[in-house]
Amino acid sequence: MSAYLISIATFTGFFMMLALALNLQWGVTGMVNFGIAGFYGVGAYTSGLLSAKVGLPSEVTILVAPVVAAGLGACLAFLSLRLRDDFLAIVTLGFGEFVRLILLNEDQITNGPRGLPIPDRPLAGLFDRGDYALFYLALVAFFVILSYLIVERLRKAPYGRVLRAIREDDVVASVLGKHVLRFRVQVFALGSAIMGLAGALYAHYAQNVSPDVFTPMVAIFIWMSVIVGGAGNNRGLLIGAGVVMAILEGSRFLGDAVTFISAPDLSALRIIVIGLVLILMIRFRPEGLVPEPKFKASDA
Amino acid sequence: MTFPISRRRFGGALAASSAMVAAPAVLRAQSGPINVGSLTPNTGGGGPFGPNITAAHKLVVDMINEQAGGILGREVALHQEDSETNPETAIRAARKLVDVNQVIGVLGTWSSSVTLGIMPLCQEAGVIQMCTSSSSDIPLQDKKGLVFNFQALSPIWGEAIGNLAVRRGFESYAVMALNNDFTISMVDSFVDVVKGAGFEVVNEPFYYNGDQSSYRAEVEQLIADDQAAVFIPSYVTDFTAVYKEIFRSGYEGQVISVSISTGQLFKDAVGAAANGILHGLPVPPIESQAYKNYLQLVGLEDNGQVQHPFGTAGFDQMSVLLMATELAGSDDALVIKNKIREVTNGDGTEVIDPVTGLEAIRAGEKVNYSGASSSVEFEADSGKIAGRDFMLWEIVDGQDEIIESIAG
Repeated sequence: MSAYLISIATFTGFFMMLALALNLQWGVTGMVNFGIAGFYGVGAYTSGLLSAKVGLPSEVTILVAPVVAAGLGACLAFLSLRLRDDFLAIVTLGFGEFVRLILLNEDQITNGPRGLPIPDRPLAGLFDRGDYALFYLALVAFFVILSYLIVERLRKAPYGRVLRAIREDDVVASVLGKHVLRFRVQVFALGSAIMGLAGALYAHYAQNVSPDVFTPMVAIFIWMSVIVGGAGNNRGLLIGAGVVMAILEGSRFLGDAVTFISAPDLSALRIIVIGLVLILMIRFRPEGLVPEPKFKASDA
Repeated sequence: MTFPISRRRFGGALAASSAMVAAPAVLRAQSGPINVGSLTPNTGGGGPFGPNITAAHKLVVDMINEQAGGILGREVALHQEDSETNPETAIRAARKLVDVNQVIGVLGTWSSSVTLGIMPLCQEAGVIQMCTSSSSDIPLQDKKGLVFNFQALSPIWGEAIGNLAVRRGFESYAVMALNNDFTISMVDSFVDVVKGAGFEVVNEPFYYNGDQSSYRAEVEQLIADDQAAVFIPSYVTDFTAVYKEIFRSGYEGQVISVSISTGQLFKDAVGAAANGILHGLPVPPIESQAYKNYLQLVGLEDNGQVQHPFGTAGFDQMSVLLMATELAGSDDALVIKNKIREVTNGDGTEVIDPVTGLEAIRAGEKVNYSGASSSVEFEADSGKIAGRDFMLWEIVDGQDEIIESIAG
């Protein structure tokens, strides 16, 4: 049981990093990103390929992944010069699919649909097998905390005030002399870097990645985490990511308790429950479990 | 309307949900059953096949618990999860089966990406995997000899279908396939067979992506040179759209595919246009007593056709695993895996159902299990199935007509 909880906590860590990144981009700055799976996938494959095919140590490749993801994120954000809201949503959704299709079709490089086995794991030599899962959880937790501290610091800083101004009305922000595009590119690149890092950590955890992992469904779970937790509030969405994972995983244990529902029906039911929670949440508590804190002068 | 969530209320919810997570562990400690895991594609791309496998796993476990008194005097507890045909979900589900339910094996994975996706964790935990996945990468990555594949690898499919095409005398071919681990090695072996017979594959075989809204460009490229035949390994969802496009184009050559694409769903969707298609699939030995026995158990009429091509494999997976467990006298997967070939390959008495098999094993006899999906013989140095019957059909008047049956 404890091994399972460690593994689910590790998965929750990946979700938390993605949610923190999305919150920075969307919750704080108002830039819609449906391409989360794309950045997650870029990170996973960058680190995976450098490690499995080039032979670099995974301790290095995990740190290269966010750089590549940030570069792509910055390029994509330049599009936001003229694209807002709905249009950016379409572009990012397209980007996510674009990444998945490249991973699927460039099989000389990525192994395509057969998936990429990644034998190397960071610092694997220092721990025996039983302790390694715990170490990996600690590693992921370290990066979750680091990401949290970075995005929370940004949110509270004057920088975050500019981001909120851009979210509420970018014309006002630019009239006040803020270089809106530059802020957007920076924020999008930073968010993408965190997503890429999460992807790299996932790749070396699962040790086998295939394009099927990086479907738009990933983006939906992360959006759900942010919406349930409370957009704009970093602490809330850590809880949100935990709640989403608890629903996804907790519903597995229904099968052991509710024996009168057949296994195939139960699997369909789980997916219905997830949708239902989202609808109820938006209907009755649209601001999320922990709403965005009211802006106070002391925060500045 | 809003209701605030206080820290206390949140804490209560957290405690309640942790209690839910912890409960099965307590129950488990008291009864001490033998735990087996079933991880099937009940939703997603494998959705048409998963529920049959799930039901077959449950059928065998129920039979053994009720008629054979369990395994090693202990009850068999089945834990079933849905892979959603998605490797990411499958990893979490497999972690639950391995870590919480402490299963000795994870049975029933179907798509190769799922089988390969959960392989690192199963290998590390020392858990047996039984699957019906065709990717040639599976035996390469199974370093510990823990994976037993009940499906023929896809090169065998390509070879059988290629030989049929050659015998039909089509001299030029074009090939395209769904981009999927299952089709890639099938295309390679098909091309080898037809080229070896001195015929021509006109195009460079190419792969299309599933879930497209239209396949017109791909189909136009495929039939551009108007060859005598086209070969299109695929899944039913994309093949239906591809075939409509081919039909609309007025192509008059022969269309060849795999039977998982041309099932009843396909025939219902395209109607009379389906006539004339050639297709093939590794099949259960439909004349065998084991297959007839399976049909009877699941309440199906024996109509001379292949039914439940994957459900039969699910039946065999669970039967083999549990008989090997009884023979091993232990619930340690690393001991059981060495007994599997003794159950399936030996020169013992032939048995076709697990209950009789268990009686024989308990009486100290040697058994040789012949399954509903195949005679179940594994190669000596890998978990590959040694032979499966392969059947080739032509669609005539909306029905599959058997052209040829190749014994495995």
